[in-house]
Amino acid sequence: MQLTIHAKGEGANVLSFLLAKHPERLYEREYKGHKVRLFYQCFTPNEVKLTIYAVLDAISLVRDGGEKLDITHYINDREFAVSSLFLSLIRSPLATALNGLPKEEYLPYVEQVFQFSFSFGPVNTDLSVKNLRELFSPLGFTVSVQSKTKNSPLYVTVTGETTLQRGLRQLFILIPVIDNYKHYYIDEKEAEKLQRFGEGWLEDHPQKEWIYKRALKYKGLLNGTIFQQGKVEREKKQKGLNQRRYEKIIEIIQAKPHLRKIVDMGSGEGKLSTRLGFLPHVSEIIAVEPSERETLKATKRYAKAAENAGFLMPIQKWGSVFYYDDGLKNKDVFILCEVIEHIAEEKLQTVMQLIFQEYKPEVCIITTPNKEYNTLYQLGETMRHYDHRFEWTRAELHAWVEKMTAMYAYKATISSIGEIDHERGGPTQIVVFEKGVMI
Amino acid sequence: MKRITLPNAGVVLLIGPSGSGKTTLLQKWVNSGQIKESEVLSSDKYRKIVADEEYTSVENKNSEKAQILFEQYQRISKEAFELLELTIQARCRLNKCSFIDATNINSDDRKKLISLAHRHHLPVSAIVLDVDLDTLLVRDNERAMPRGSKRIKQQMKRFQYDKRYLKTEGYHQLHIIKELNHSLEIERMDEVPSIDVGAGIDIIGDIHGCFTELLQLLEKLGYEENEQGLYTHPLGRKFLSLGDIMSRGPRSLETLLFFKNHVNHNLAYMIDSNHGWKIYRWLKGNQVTLRHGDELTAKEINQWLATYSKEEQKRLKDEFIQFLGNAPAHYIIEDDGVPMLVCTHAGIKDEYIGKSSQQISDYCRYGESSSSTEDGRPIRDEWYHHHSGHMTIVWGHDPRPYPTNINATINIDQGVVFGGKLTAYRYPEKSFISVDALKNYNGVEHNPIIEWKNKRLQPPNIQALIEGYRVQIEGFDDVSVKSKYIKPVIGSLSTSDTHFNQLVYLPPTMSPVPIPSQLPDYLEHPLEAFQYYRDHGVNQLIVEKKHMGSRGILLIFKNEEEAFNYTGISNLGAIYSRSGKRFFKKDIEEQILTGIQSSLKRTDYFDKYETDFVLLDCEIMPWNLKAQDLINKQYNLVAESAILDRMILDKELNEALVENHWLKENQEKLERAESFQKVYEKYCWEVSDIDRIVIAPFHILAHSGRVYHEQSHIWHMDHVEELSEICSIFRRTDYLLIEGESNWERVIGWWQEMTEEGHEGMVVKPNQFTIWDKGKLLQPALKVRGRKYLQIIYGMDYLEEKNLERLKKRNTNRKQKLALQEFSLGIEALNRFVKQEELGRIHECIVAILALEGDEVDPRL
Repeated sequence: MQLTIHAKGEGANVLSFLLAKHPERLYEREYKGHKVRLFYQCFTPNEVKLTIYAVLDAISLVRDGGEKLDITHYINDREFAVSSLFLSLIRSPLATALNGLPKEEYLPYVEQVFQFSFSFGPVNTDLSVKNLRELFSPLGFTVSVQSKTKNSPLYVTVTGETTLQRGLRQLFILIPVIDNYKHYYIDEKEAEKLQRFGEGWLEDHPQKEWIYKRALKYKGLLNGTIFQQGKVEREKKQKGLNQRRYEKIIEIIQAKPHLRKIVDMGSGEGKLSTRLGFLPHVSEIIAVEPSERETLKATKRYAKAAENAGFLMPIQKWGSVFYYDDGLKNKDVFILCEVIEHIAEEKLQTVMQLIFQEYKPEVCIITTPNKEYNTLYQLGETMRHYDHRFEWTRAELHAWVEKMTAMYAYKATISSIGEIDHERGGPTQIVVFEKGVMI
Repeated sequence: MKRITLPNAGVVLLIGPSGSGKTTLLQKWVNSGQIKESEVLSSDKYRKIVADEEYTSVENKNSEKAQILFEQYQRISKEAFELLELTIQARCRLNKCSFIDATNINSDDRKKLISLAHRHHLPVSAIVLDVDLDTLLVRDNERAMPRGSKRIKQQMKRFQYDKRYLKTEGYHQLHIIKELNHSLEIERMDEVPSIDVGAGIDIIGDIHGCFTELLQLLEKLGYEENEQGLYTHPLGRKFLSLGDIMSRGPRSLETLLFFKNHVNHNLAYMIDSNHGWKIYRWLKGNQVTLRHGDELTAKEINQWLATYSKEEQKRLKDEFIQFLGNAPAHYIIEDDGVPMLVCTHAGIKDEYIGKSSQQISDYCRYGESSSSTEDGRPIRDEWYHHHSGHMTIVWGHDPRPYPTNINATINIDQGVVFGGKLTAYRYPEKSFISVDALKNYNGVEHNPIIEWKNKRLQPPNIQALIEGYRVQIEGFDDVSVKSKYIKPVIGSLSTSDTHFNQLVYLPPTMSPVPIPSQLPDYLEHPLEAFQYYRDHGVNQLIVEKKHMGSRGILLIFKNEEEAFNYTGISNLGAIYSRSGKRFFKKDIEEQILTGIQSSLKRTDYFDKYETDFVLLDCEIMPWNLKAQDLINKQYNLVAESAILDRMILDKELNEALVENHWLKENQEKLERAESFQKVYEKYCWEVSDIDRIVIAPFHILAHSGRVYHEQSHIWHMDHVEELSEICSIFRRTDYLLIEGESNWERVIGWWQEMTEEGHEGMVVKPNQFTIWDKGKLLQPALKVRGRKYLQIIYGMDYLEEKNLERLKKRNTNRKQKLALQEFSLGIEALNRFVKQEELGRIHECIVAILALEGDEVDPRL
């Protein structure tokens, strides 16, 4: 991780005073085993070039890290990439320049403009070169980028007329924005830095809001950026669809008040079970989910719902359709809402056998995507979710349902959820199996 | 001389007013050694314990003072009795007998103690000392601290009044003694008989009148028939039946007579059971409904009795009644005075062991029936999940196709009458011997053995897993897994595409060489691995080149029919990773399996080895097949970042105005970054079609009915050689054999050469697959990774002196322990699979291995 500062212009050699770094001496400091070094390559009255770089102690770096223990924790680019970690290491050596507080006699030169090139790297970013230009051009820089291949780390040079202090302050704000490291620790200092270092330029930057968001990396805000617009809209549509699925399921359950005991299989973060908890005639909800993360979310959601009157707390069970649980037998309703498409098709048979032959609910409600509808999402051949094992057309679902009703003592009705396209049907298909006599 | 019988475990209440002679009587028994001093719990002593005095006298005090003193006395008594009760409870829990030396004249107080004992399933006896008032008053005058006539009279009144309740208070035995006879003797009952293991004991499961099979089994166990027609063992072993020796089967009467005879001759033991109890009550003339085969036994007995005279009939019946009635609910088998086994029919709760009561007898006969099937048959609760501790419970009653060893309980009812097997569990050998049933005597309807087989592939019961459990492993130590590690495993397996029925083995983790290299520029070196084994007395070692790919398990069936038979799935098998996930996409998996299966069939592999399947432990290459994401996102990024950083820095440092050593240092770092990149590039190649995939098997895990963990590694390597000739996807593994220290140098040279080229390294194993030293399992393998390879584990600069120094402080203890546990779990899973045990039993091993892998261990080891 390194930063090279190259300044041209009359009296550029004042930089050594602005930086408080002697050109004929090597500068080296150690901090927690990491080394920060500075040296000059050129020092004339009209041209100055210097590099500041850090050599990290890889072992203490991972020890500081702590909890997450897989191999990616030990082998990662943090040791090399220009990041907030680098900035925290060079902040103190560059403090004089950043604060614009050299010895009094050089104070007037703080505002002196030179022709500057700041080169830094390696940069690992999810931003395109175009994005980088959108960040630096409004500040009067031209951007050039060096990289081996399209996906390789970058070495970035920004060139423009500016003061040393201003240029450095801009880098201190923009480098963390560019770096795509996810586990970036934000504290109040960081917000304060934005205030101070951003003074006089960030306010007028056309990408100001976005810079703020990325710099502070508030959870979830990344999705709201200009770069993610398309995805957001699709997700919005699907969110609406989720609601409609829940509404439909509730409608079915409400139409049959004798259905009192409900199993929500693959209950995820508990959205459906929470809604079921408010149905007055329901006497038991068992929410079955195997994922720790989702279970924790669900627990919170239920606790929050329980603050309202008339909420029946769902019983959370750790499990999945691949395990047998005595406590799920002979309930009234089994719901598999957007679950079966996550199961390998060849494993589905065992799952249905377990439900229809062992658990034997009165009603089993299954929802699953309609593959035909995907064209309207412009998904091409990709499925709606990376974890989907299959998505069925209406005919495929129909054939499967027929097979099920032929094998087990259930009859079934199929319908649609969501806006119906007259050619492709609705986005979601729903099957309601009801216990009946085997034909 | 009067003799009274008292229990070995329980509560004995001495009842009578002060001065009736309770303490004197007990002291006499203590003095004569009939009871232990510690068995006597006296209220006087407890008063002393809590308040330093046995008794507070109120004699010669005015009424006000007497009142206050009496209140004080009552407070002391209250505390003393509370402590006394706690002691009784503790002694009850530990199956001890407590003689309560207190007046016990108040019926309500007695009831409290009675219910306390009954809660612990122990009997209460009462010894009532009914002495007349005059005698009491005389005695009181004589004692050191007289209670005073007023108190004695009060006590006498209460005693006489509450005496009427004695008969209904529920004593096991009630002895009323009018006059203290000096020669009153006691006899201690043997509550639950313990059997010393002696020359050995053979515990036999439910026989159900399968007399022919019984005799076959006894002969197989080495018993011989003597002139009197008794089966004796030349070494003096004895056999023990877990009950249900009759009913359902063809020769109940003969079996009954056989056991009665052998038990009477002290050659055998028999435990009470549900069928035995039913026949007992029928013989006694109770109103019972005879069914489930008991009607057949009754018919046999009736026909037989009919050949005798009336008097003879009565005598024979009484003999049966006595024989069946005396059968205990459970036996405890002691080895060297230590209780090792509990033998019972249907089950037992831990707190019942060593005790007897009506409730316990019922439990041992029927087990716990919590619910019933739709047609009303009871479903048995799995009581054995609640057993804890190492005492092993051997039981029958609930037939299953093979002996099942769960949670330190062993079921040996293999349903001989249903066409299964008759099993004997031999102790102390801890081995099973069984004979096949000659036929199914019971038809197919509700045949538990057939039902069991049908249910074999049912999804695993989550309740048996989720709260944590212990896996019992034949020949190895048990392994316990905790709930917090199991839950994520259930989550992860629930997203796996691998059928659980095919997930029959997972490979164990492997420890690196436990001691870091003594050489300055090596972290791992073969020398320490060789020394580890030499120090444990192992000289014959095998070293195998470690391929750098991803671990994969291959299960390949002979054909789809056999696959269906074993797994309930009609395909050729499965290939999965060490996390239990499907290794390839479905279509590629099918292509690979079809290719291998057809090669194996063409060369008659399945016939040659008389197997329906082959299960292989392999390394699958190239690495990027599985690790592409890791390579792109981690390794490539790291390598390119480092190279870019160090290259540009090289240029800048070259121009530096001041001379410095940083340039040289950076150049070395640049070289290491480049070498880092080369390391993993070696393990990657483009896979345009499946011909580019290489599979290197190194363990032939199992064939039908056989697990190969007893075969030497040379055998495995030879077998791999054969496979590689059969099918081109298989690659053999380079290996060398070490016979002693003289070979070490050559092997180290081999390792050096190979690892300097960038190969991962090698695995050092004892040639013997499973190896022990002084009763401890040794590491089945140690990996010794090359210097270059370790860059991608410990970072490109790990060999820098300051780094290496710190890395050498690593500790592999936890990793070694996990390696052993996972190794034994893997073997257990294989054993269960080849025995075609039910899915849940195999799956518990799989989940346990993955749960252990969830333990926080440095992943770089």
